[in-house]
Amino acid sequence: MTTALKVFLFSLLCSLPAWDLAWRFLNDELGANPVEFLEHHTGDWTIYFLLLTLSITPIQKFFKPNWNRWLMPMHLVRRVLGLSAFGYALLHLATYLVFDMGLSLTDSVNDIIERPFILIGMVSLILLIPLAITSTASWQKRLKRHWQTLHKAIYTLTFLGILHYALLVKADLFQPLIYLSLFAILMLLRIRFDS
Amino acid sequence: MKLTENQVTDQNLYLNRRQFVKSLTAAGLLGTPFIANALDFSKNPDYQPRLKLTDPEHALHYNNFYELGTSKEDPFRNADKLNTDNWKVVIEGECSKPTTFDMDDLLKLEQEERIYRFRCVEGWSMVVPWIGFPLAKLLKQVQPTSKAKFVEFVSIEDSNLPGQRFRILDWPYREGLRMDEAMHPLTLMATGIYGEALPNQNGAPIRLVVPWKYGFKSSKSIVKIRLVEKQPFSSWMVATPSEYGFYSNVNPNVSHPRWSQAKERPLGSFFKQKTLMFNGYENEVAGLYKGMDLKKYF
Repeated sequence: MTTALKVFLFSLLCSLPAWDLAWRFLNDELGANPVEFLEHHTGDWTIYFLLLTLSITPIQKFFKPNWNRWLMPMHLVRRVLGLSAFGYALLHLATYLVFDMGLSLTDSVNDIIERPFILIGMVSLILLIPLAITSTASWQKRLKRHWQTLHKAIYTLTFLGILHYALLVKADLFQPLIYLSLFAILMLLRIRFDS
Repeated sequence: MKLTENQVTDQNLYLNRRQFVKSLTAAGLLGTPFIANALDFSKNPDYQPRLKLTDPEHALHYNNFYELGTSKEDPFRNADKLNTDNWKVVIEGECSKPTTFDMDDLLKLEQEERIYRFRCVEGWSMVVPWIGFPLAKLLKQVQPTSKAKFVEFVSIEDSNLPGQRFRILDWPYREGLRMDEAMHPLTLMATGIYGEALPNQNGAPIRLVVPWKYGFKSSKSIVKIRLVEKQPFSSWMVATPSEYGFYSNVNPNVSHPRWSQAKERPLGSFFKQKTLMFNGYENEVAGLYKGMDLKKYF
């Protein structure tokens, strides 16, 4: 199998949750509060993919898997995961803008100003944009060592994404705390390897 | 025209059916009180607004009832963990006739169906046909004294309830109303929904419905009603005083700290609609809050 085909198939796999949501959308199977369903699921998948992206390096260090043999070069696996996170984040934003804000600019701006968790969500999504744009090989070459520095922003924006979720929750912080713990573990593994 | 269930069915057949259902329940053949408790009720024409009823599928499966879990589907999933056998409601405090009522006493009061708007603080809403009786009717029976200025509601406390294993809220769930709010004709003690007895996830066997306030003011599975002199604290006020006030009247002009309350999304719908002042009951209840700064008393 060519690498291009592998990348394509892996991307398709990562897009399955989105197809599931689309199917539910078309068949009226999003439950009592369809917009909340879409927002929670796209938000959750964004965080899952961010955490998966962050777990590639530790997996590499621990298990030294032969990515080429099983899947494709490690950087390609990571790129597809990272871009998937971006894709779900965009769906998340689109749901919010269309169904929550009714595409009203003033409503959206007011919401961002008034609510810290919306602002934090926006900041983390905006931070994702340059990472998504510069995810290609040509950008990597063009930016050289700066590329790595830039892409370290994923640490901050993953944390902000989880914070965005934690601030929204009314009383039961169980789920955001799980995400935060996973994030902390992935960060600690890095500190260990870097030192 | 008023048409009650027992006018349609012959009284004897009706009673036989109840007896039959009761015997099935006793034999353990029918697990859910949803089927076991048929209700006698009439439709009150004064409270039948021409609103589109929420699909019962949504209203019975999408619930906030933290005693049974914090996700919206948990209460339905864990409904069997709530035991409503031999349910009693104690009314005590500032009254000359404190009384313990069992469900049979409460179901002897005339039950009526009323269609109410119901607005959750989270920004979703429904239109629900509740069955029940005005709380005022019940409170009058215990003869409140002049010291009774507020009413406190206490919900079930049971270590078998999955949500109560964690101190997500200060259990048991407590809520409160001012005496005039409690005595208001719109304030309902609900025993049924969509023509049937309340299912557990909706707060069986008896709950409060205060249609001009956010949903969490309408306590579920009530075991105690206390008439008190001072304003009681509610579980949500204890949890997050900056976000949940004592009044919690539906008010599109006062935002929740984390979201606007100007609009709401009816369950099942993609788009939002404007939230009405006092949830559409402004004519009936605005007088209760005359001269009060509703931003301060949120």
